[in-house]
Amino acid sequence: MNKLLVIGLDCAAPSIMFEKLADELPNISKMRSEGVWGKLRSCDPPITVPAWMVMATGRTPGELGLYGFRSREGNSYNKIKIPTSRDIKFDTIWDIIGKRNRRSVVIAVPPSYPPRPITGILVTDFLTPGKDKEFTYPPGLKNEILSKYPDYEFDVKFRKPEKEKIIDEIHKMTETRFKMAIDFMKNKPWDLFFFVEIGIDRIHHAFWRYIDEKHHLYEDNPLMREKFVNYFKMVDKYVGEMVEQVDEDTLVMIVSDHGAKGMKGAFAINQWLIKEGYLKLKSNNIKPGSSLDDVEVDWENTKAWAWGGYYARIFLNIKGREEKGIIDPMDVRKEIEILKEKLKSIKGPNGEEWDTKVFEPEEKYDVVNGDRSDLFVYFDDLSWRAAGTLGYETMYLLENDTGPDDAVHDYDGIYVLYRKGKKVGKTFNETIYNVMPTMLDVFSVRKITGLKGKVMEGMRYVK
Amino acid sequence: MAEDKKYTTVSIPTPLFEKIQKKIEGTGFTSVSDYVTFILREILAHSNDQEAFTEEDEKRVKERLKSLGYLD
Repeated sequence: MNKLLVIGLDCAAPSIMFEKLADELPNISKMRSEGVWGKLRSCDPPITVPAWMVMATGRTPGELGLYGFRSREGNSYNKIKIPTSRDIKFDTIWDIIGKRNRRSVVIAVPPSYPPRPITGILVTDFLTPGKDKEFTYPPGLKNEILSKYPDYEFDVKFRKPEKEKIIDEIHKMTETRFKMAIDFMKNKPWDLFFFVEIGIDRIHHAFWRYIDEKHHLYEDNPLMREKFVNYFKMVDKYVGEMVEQVDEDTLVMIVSDHGAKGMKGAFAINQWLIKEGYLKLKSNNIKPGSSLDDVEVDWENTKAWAWGGYYARIFLNIKGREEKGIIDPMDVRKEIEILKEKLKSIKGPNGEEWDTKVFEPEEKYDVVNGDRSDLFVYFDDLSWRAAGTLGYETMYLLENDTGPDDAVHDYDGIYVLYRKGKKVGKTFNETIYNVMPTMLDVFSVRKITGLKGKVMEGMRYVK
Repeated sequence: MAEDKKYTTVSIPTPLFEKIQKKIEGTGFTSVSDYVTFILREILAHSNDQEAFTEEDEKRVKERLKSLGYLD
């Protein structure tokens, strides 16, 4: 075994792939019954950036210095930076095997824009500004893609009201990308093929309400349910076609960066910080849905503020660190402990107990590089997303503050290891940190120090 | 002067030129100049603080991320 095909399905969840739709996915289900499969615990935070790079480098978000889709610049109040390929300071699997003259085809692994040279070819991810930019290595590959696949897209703008249209757009986008991937599998030389498809994530976020009877926005809509199921059937069909291209010397690995579950609502964290006296605004006349950038914050009297998303990041306003910081550095520990307890005691809209997780980055990672917030918060164990916007009548929003959203992220993604000619059929739960050591094992690379994970248990059986 | 023209000439050793010519066979690079330009840009990008995104690019990506619910 000396080749590796990685099929990355962003956000693919055990409850859908292994349970609800298992009977609709003959190829993936067959790979499970003949291979090794299970849940793949994501990193903290379980978010696309950093999770894919955790997989591709084996490093923690702390080491990578990436904690989500934005980083704060220079302890500022409102300057943010979007992660790019230049922020990845550790070697990826394709960098490491490239030095050993093994070739890779890398498609859409976030963040990979701008394209960096590799031994092989690379197409950038959905964080690419547009098709007018250089999005491939080598640069000429872009013309090949655009002439053969003129409707190639990096992503869809999915939170639009025309739901039927969007699901069809996502379907088409995914189909085009799979077709391109299969074309590359056949026509480009590779030892490692690493392909990420973002469509499943978009489908979950926009259409979860059609397949989850327990969702507070559940809609019994047979057409949308059918479209949802058909999307997954299409993914399964192309996974089958990809696997058809490989021989017995190739390990096939299906992985997802995190899972998904129904969203219960969005908690307006900055509104809560105002109520608790941590955040002060200069005017109380705020338009609903305003972001902190739209309002005048009274920084001289503010102790903390937050960013929303699938989890909340809370920053303290510390003297000497922030421009108008007011918390004395000697009091930071005390303030953090108090704030943690207050956050953990937040109850749901009807007074129900929440299982909110609050931690400092240092509690999760041995090394904490780059921009980091002072606290990470998972409201009700991620079931409630955090809204950074404010001006609402309530702190509990039943929909996402930036548009309709049905699903939040969950800790467990999926993995399947499959090799033609092997009949295994075993289940083990693994973590995302074990992906890199397993990939390295396929290429017999053993000397990478400092990796947290280990080779997956299932390798014993597929090797 | 170099600044007045869109392209200018630099010299590299002939054996290196030939090596590159061979290396880019079958890749998307259509000429040694294309390849050398790409490599030099890449090195320059890593050796100074040049931003990966232009201001306009960053705006486009931020808008998309906002619509995806990641920035709020």
